[in-house]
Amino acid sequence: MKKWIEKLKLTKTLSTLTPILIAFLIGAVAIILAKESPFNTYYILISKSLFNIKGLLKTLHYAAPLILSGLAIAVSFKAGLFNMGIEGQIISSGFVVAMLGYRLASLPAGVLIPLLLLVGIIVGVIMAILPAFLKAKYNVNEMVVTLLLNYAIYSVLEYLTSNVAFFRDPSSGYVSTYVIGSNAIISRIGGSKLTIFFFIVMIVFVVMYFVMKRSKLGFEINAMGKNRSFSEATGMEIQKKTMYIMLLSGALAGLAGAGWMMAEKFSYTLDFSGTPGLGWDGMLIALLGGHTPIGILVAAIFYAALKTGASSVAIYTSVPAEIIILLQALIVLFLSIKFFSNKKTKKVKKEVKANGVSA
Amino acid sequence: MELVLKILSDSLYFTGPILLCTLGGLFAYKSGMINIGLEGMMLFGGFISALVIFFTGSWILGLFAAIILAILLGLLFSFFGVTKKANFIITGFAINLLATAVGKYALALLGTNDINVINDVVRERSNLDIPIIRSIPYISDIFNGQSWFTYLSFILIGVVSIIIYKTKFGTYVRVTGENEAAARSLGIKVDVIKYLAIIASAILCAFAGYNVAINQLASYTPDITAGTGFIALAAIYCGQGSPKSSALYAIIFGLSRALALNLSLRVGSIAGLLEIIPYIMIVIVLSTVAIIRERKTLYRGFINE
Repeated sequence: MKKWIEKLKLTKTLSTLTPILIAFLIGAVAIILAKESPFNTYYILISKSLFNIKGLLKTLHYAAPLILSGLAIAVSFKAGLFNMGIEGQIISSGFVVAMLGYRLASLPAGVLIPLLLLVGIIVGVIMAILPAFLKAKYNVNEMVVTLLLNYAIYSVLEYLTSNVAFFRDPSSGYVSTYVIGSNAIISRIGGSKLTIFFFIVMIVFVVMYFVMKRSKLGFEINAMGKNRSFSEATGMEIQKKTMYIMLLSGALAGLAGAGWMMAEKFSYTLDFSGTPGLGWDGMLIALLGGHTPIGILVAAIFYAALKTGASSVAIYTSVPAEIIILLQALIVLFLSIKFFSNKKTKKVKKEVKANGVSA
Repeated sequence: MELVLKILSDSLYFTGPILLCTLGGLFAYKSGMINIGLEGMMLFGGFISALVIFFTGSWILGLFAAIILAILLGLLFSFFGVTKKANFIITGFAINLLATAVGKYALALLGTNDINVINDVVRERSNLDIPIIRSIPYISDIFNGQSWFTYLSFILIGVVSIIIYKTKFGTYVRVTGENEAAARSLGIKVDVIKYLAIIASAILCAFAGYNVAINQLASYTPDITAGTGFIALAAIYCGQGSPKSSALYAIIFGLSRALALNLSLRVGSIAGLLEIIPYIMIVIVLSTVAIIRERKTLYRGFINE
């Protein structure tokens, strides 16, 4: 029995590591195209962000919003709900927090910071209400709706930031909102980049761990993802749960946006969420972490390390920082297949094939 | 009047690529594989054709390269989704991410912000001037002088519905999508059918990408598709997989883009805000269709007739 468990874990680890390795191999071709040595590039990518204290703290700082967006994706994907609106929810929350962080700057930090975090969560939830309602009540495809709303949200925020005097900071050289007040900035720890926000995220992480692993909702999320109509037949209130899950996902995204604004960006710019955006990063992280909380934590730190390292790569070599987007896409691609399945499923699959029944 | 004609003519212009993606997506949809990668396949098509035309100056080579890449992407997607039984939603999404990533990486390597092919005359040559249409007033303003891909996309509505409903291949595709086990038991090579359906969808998306990048904009940037692939998916969902009604929705969505563009030329500074019209309109249409469908459904998928 014990051996069997060990074996299972090994296959799990292997099936997570293989896509990363293959992605790095293909990425090496891209690096050679940039006339650089892959070994050297990958060494810089990892060493600057993991193997020294300063880099590691920076990595953890960047991991904070990624953990949240990874959890946001995992909660909904696991329930079979493809909430692709994380990106839109993050930027809307960031925008509103930027605006209030400037307008309410006179409030003391002890009041302002919790207030803004709460506002961020609320904005995330509000942005998720429409797709959640449409999915729960009328079974409108949530993936298409959230994806299209992302474009709409981005355009609206772009318009508000660049054309409306109430939001745009005229003294800034590029399109940006006013910088938030110093009371709204989450303070750093020592001389490092790490802020209190990371620890707030860790608390949320622990809560989410228990929600996903130990609570009734966590069980229901699992059941819905495995078989929606069966869950309904056994008496689960699918509509209500769909609503809850989508809103929870939105809340996590909203917190990520608020924290990212107050701990790192301080004003809303058009590339607030970076390329390809914190929401899309969250998708990679959720997949890489196998939709489990611990997995997501590890994956978020790993990916944050790559992201941190990518800027060093651009400084020390002629490889563009875009290498990170390429690696990300490749990892997601190879994560979509299972490289190693345990023998039991293989046997079932064989039987299924022999009987001519679709798996 | 002039404005109405302009909007209608622009609708056709915007409908072209949406329609190509929609019809492409339909093949995959009918075979039971939802191709989320439409957007990425389109973007890859635009990228490779712009790149090849930039270096060779030949639009034929550009189109050819786009088709070859589409076939490769189709093979990749099918190998993952069909042979390896991957989660094809994720695979499709990865293709979208990859398309953006490859484009951005290549642009960074080339040290430029876009691949501009405006000097390579393809633009003028691609707009057809049809003598019969030209002589009819009004009709000429709307229908004449569009890119040949636009005409092709409308012709393809008929072609695709004939392929899907009247040919052996189409029947196999539909059977595969509706009941894979039954198809298998009849001796239909289900996997081969799926491969072919997906490759067909990839090629049509590549056409859409070529149309936007070369004919319409004459330059490639990683955001030229602006959600066209997802709009096409919305059209397929609204039309419930029927070629004619999906095409109708694609045309409606093209019209909404044309409306947004023409209104924004007239309103001054709030123009940027009007960009959201197509997206909001599609969400509204998609929801309305779903709500009407839901009203007809009594209990878990059984239609109330």
